[in-house]
Amino acid sequence: MIPALNLLIGLAMGLNLVALGSSRLPSLIRTVSTQGIALGLMPILLEGNHWDWRIFLIAMATVAGKGFVIPGLLRRAMRAANIEREVEPFIGLMPSLLLGAGGTIAAVALASALPLLPEHAGSLLVPGALASVLTGFILLIGRAKAISQVCGYLILENGIYLFGLLLIKATPLLVEAGVLLDLTVGVFVLGIIIDRIQRAFDSLDTRKLTTLHE
Amino acid sequence: MGTSARSARASFAFTLAGTLVGLLAALGVLLGPDDWEWTGGFLVGGERVHLRLDGVGAIFLVPVCVIGGAGAAYARAYWPDSDSPGSAARGRAWWNALILCMGLVLTISNGLHFLIAWEAFALCGYFLITLDNRRPEVRKAGWLYLASSHAGTLALMAFFTLLAAHAGTWELGPVRDVPPALFWLALFGFGMKAGFFPCHIWLPSAHANAPSHVSAVMSGVAIKMGVYGIVRFGGWLPVPAEAGQVVIGLGAASAVLGIAFAMAQNDLKRLLAYCSVENIGVILIGLGAALMARTHGNAAWGQLAIAGALLHVWNHALFKSLLFFGAGSVLHATGTREMSRLGGLGQTMPWTAGFFALGAAAVSGLPPLNGFVGEWLIYLGLFDAATTRAGFAWAVLPAAILLASAGALALAAFIKAGGMIFLGAPRTKPAAQAHECGAGMLAPMGVLAAACAVIGLAPGLVWPAIARAAGSWNPAWAHAEKSPFATLGPAQAALAALAAAAGFLLWKKSRANGLRRGLTWDCGYRSPAPRMQYTSGSFAGIVAGWFFRAFGSERKFRRPHGPFPEGSILLERIPETVLERLVEPAGAAITRLSHAALSLQHGRLQSYILYLVVGLAALGAFVFLEAKP
Amino acid sequence: MMIVRIFLWVALAPLLPGLINKVKAWVAGRRGPPVLQLYYDLIRLWQKGVVLSTLASPAFVVAPAVAWVALACAAFLVPLGPAGAGLSFRGDVLLMVYLLALARFCTAWAAMETGSAFGGMGAAREVSYAVLSEAALFAAMLSLAVQTGSVSLVAMLSPTPGAGTLLLAAGLFIVLLAENCRVPFDDPNTHLELTMIHEAMALDHSGPPLAVILHGASMKLLLFAVLLTAAVLPLGSLSPLAAASALAGGVLLVTIGVGLAESFLARFAFRHVPLLLTMGILLCLFSLLVAWKGGAA
Repeated sequence: MIPALNLLIGLAMGLNLVALGSSRLPSLIRTVSTQGIALGLMPILLEGNHWDWRIFLIAMATVAGKGFVIPGLLRRAMRAANIEREVEPFIGLMPSLLLGAGGTIAAVALASALPLLPEHAGSLLVPGALASVLTGFILLIGRAKAISQVCGYLILENGIYLFGLLLIKATPLLVEAGVLLDLTVGVFVLGIIIDRIQRAFDSLDTRKLTTLHE
Repeated sequence: MGTSARSARASFAFTLAGTLVGLLAALGVLLGPDDWEWTGGFLVGGERVHLRLDGVGAIFLVPVCVIGGAGAAYARAYWPDSDSPGSAARGRAWWNALILCMGLVLTISNGLHFLIAWEAFALCGYFLITLDNRRPEVRKAGWLYLASSHAGTLALMAFFTLLAAHAGTWELGPVRDVPPALFWLALFGFGMKAGFFPCHIWLPSAHANAPSHVSAVMSGVAIKMGVYGIVRFGGWLPVPAEAGQVVIGLGAASAVLGIAFAMAQNDLKRLLAYCSVENIGVILIGLGAALMARTHGNAAWGQLAIAGALLHVWNHALFKSLLFFGAGSVLHATGTREMSRLGGLGQTMPWTAGFFALGAAAVSGLPPLNGFVGEWLIYLGLFDAATTRAGFAWAVLPAAILLASAGALALAAFIKAGGMIFLGAPRTKPAAQAHECGAGMLAPMGVLAAACAVIGLAPGLVWPAIARAAGSWNPAWAHAEKSPFATLGPAQAALAALAAAAGFLLWKKSRANGLRRGLTWDCGYRSPAPRMQYTSGSFAGIVAGWFFRAFGSERKFRRPHGPFPEGSILLERIPETVLERLVEPAGAAITRLSHAALSLQHGRLQSYILYLVVGLAALGAFVFLEAKP
Repeated sequence: MMIVRIFLWVALAPLLPGLINKVKAWVAGRRGPPVLQLYYDLIRLWQKGVVLSTLASPAFVVAPAVAWVALACAAFLVPLGPAGAGLSFRGDVLLMVYLLALARFCTAWAAMETGSAFGGMGAAREVSYAVLSEAALFAAMLSLAVQTGSVSLVAMLSPTPGAGTLLLAAGLFIVLLAENCRVPFDDPNTHLELTMIHEAMALDHSGPPLAVILHGASMKLLLFAVLLTAAVLPLGSLSPLAAASALAGGVLLVTIGVGLAESFLARFAFRHVPLLLTMGILLCLFSLLVAWKGGAA
């Protein structure tokens, strides 16, 4: 199952790049939802031999949550705030693209130096996880609009989720489900906050939040 | 026929004879199995004179002789006694001295004598660069060249003395038990002459301001002496493990940055000078790959890499000299090197335009010319290294990709140069009044162009020579290797034939259909002017924007304001970044420190005696503290 | 065999732009020009006369022919699935890429000949963006070489699909769009000179040289489509008939993909073009990374 897994993780890494390079919010949300769907299918591939209805359920819930529910919430917030385009970010598009690429290459080099279990040695799980975490951080630090930052947070979560897949035999699936629930509630709350910011400042530019520093 | 003309002819005959002898000797060594050795009976500086010409030296001797001869022929028409009586004779004398010194550098087999010959060679270069020393920028370029050359020579003095100390003798040869760190000293010392980034600070101004035949020999041959040093001592010394990666990195950086700087230049000869930096980078990529292969078990792909690097030494000498001769022809006809003041010279100087176009295609590495053949070998070595997937070979991946980018940038830079100068309409009066140069200048260009074409169409001819040199560099690769050009050579020849036939047929068909001339359509303007054409700055605008940070360019922009604007100005200057942003500020800081220390030199005797007493007391205290157990 | 190969490359190439235009017309709800339109154009142009600028030399007419020969030789080196390549040797992939560069050199030189501002503009843009697309193409070729362990196109272009295949396909598709001057890099149907890249270079050509340029461009598109298909599909492991039909199907799919991309995407502002090209380089680089790590110890 390793080649198919690597295919999906490779797709996720490519989607990281697309997320870093896109300046329009709808395409960013679409990228994050595609990445969520790809990652949601992974538990099925990891445990391909023994079919467990619980694993199937969790995978479907993840796909539904990360791929449809959360992006839907984000789209609703975007429509409510009536914005579609990112302002000039703190870290420009080209530098963030090159940073993400450099980080991915460093992640691949680092992963080959780590002492992994033999069954994980040939897979791209660790590099993909590190690369997604870095991409998430770049989006969080470098973008000015709140929705872009939420997308960065989601990609960061995807990276942590990938890392967690390494321990899938040790971690009870209930914990994974709990994480997913936390994520959905968090995005829901963030949607409400975004609405509030929009009403207070008539813009989603998070730089305006610094006026609250008193 | 005056005495000066007779002496000019005699000198030219002497130069030709000397270079011919050298060429035959080099070819004799390359095509035969034995090296040439000679030990003199006399001593110089306490050391016996010992000359040796082996495969590696012979490979570098061939371009010395070819460009030396061609340049001397070019100088007869370009820098004749009738135009500049004093400097022409001086130029001939220093030219012969330069060729002689370079030949000595390549054959001397003793460290002390090598240094003497090296210094003499650098001095000859200085006197040739400053032939026209009435112009201040020429003098400035000469000083910069001399200072940089001496910085390198300082490192080389340290290198050779340390080498002699460790090896126990001044004789040069393969050594085993010297510290590998000596290689870095040699890399820096020879690098200041070779001109890779960032040791290239003297190259642009020196090669731009020298007479064109001198620029040709400096760019084509003299900087290869630096490469020779790195190649030679990379082969003879035990190199550090990471030397291969470092050299590849330096090569890739030189290749991309050199050609990016070239793209942004408006002065033709400065563009060609920066392009030389790029080609030195290409040679270093091949050399670095070979060093890496040798350190890790003499992998077979290293032979391809070093063979490609050595072939590129030949190719670069040929097409860069051709391009510099073309630049000299343009300068001779119009009096300016500024590309944005030229244009349309292809109509008045068709031969120069044709030779320049061939040189431009060769330097961009396009088939079926020689530039492609050398780069193809280097690429093959890099790709072979990549397919082994060995851990240490990761450096070839970015090197190959950067080499590809550098090649595309070179194509862009030479479309710009050729297009600005030879195509379109003349932009100024001197350009409109240009005339073709005489046969004295065209003949050397023709010879070099023919050599480029021959190496491109029949690369199998040069394979025995470069394989012998590669085997001489690393004996593990000395076995007779089948030529990798077995299919490439005929393919290139077929391509050339097909292209010529197709061009001829299309021209015939177009004429048969009816060919008529008309004004160039420029969107319906009433009076199209030559000034509407793209300038060299605007052509390079996109690329210059990408490298903006690396260039550190200065911009002066005054926009037009209001309905009746006064003059507006847009001025952009690309400095020699390493020189003006790094070396010169450092130099200024050192000068300021020295001026501060100047206050100690005020001339009062009493204070000088005080300094002596204080110094002695400090020494005494030091000895006292050291002696205490 | 040689006749069939020449027929496939030379005679079938003009079909592709026609198919792309049909797809675009279908998406827009029009009937569009016939699929064979480019053939009619080529025949018509071949019989017309040539107008040569007073500033241009005969090189203006000869350069398109040299470019066409370079493209035809590059096509000769690309293997057509089970039929193999016309000429195959170690390192032919490098010759192919540099033959494409030779075609670009000739076209750009001819564009500068006329001394018009548009020629300079088109040439400047084309050669500048080629820096990035060459890097992407080389990264893709390196990825294939590392995957298959060979430097000859015939052996390189039948890889086993792996993790990097999707990335390679995406990267090569971006390179295809860039090198063939398609939306979002350049609009082949634009009539505004200030927005042109490739069209600005071909602006002043007429008659047979223009026909040669148009045919060469269609051959280049077919070359890239075959390259993309063969780099992604494992043609080597299929029977000859299956491989041939897979290749044809793949080329058709790529053509339809180009048509859809042209219909649904708008042309990028020029300052965004380097971003998209860099993404192409990075996608090919990532597939190289995946291939490199896949075999490294």
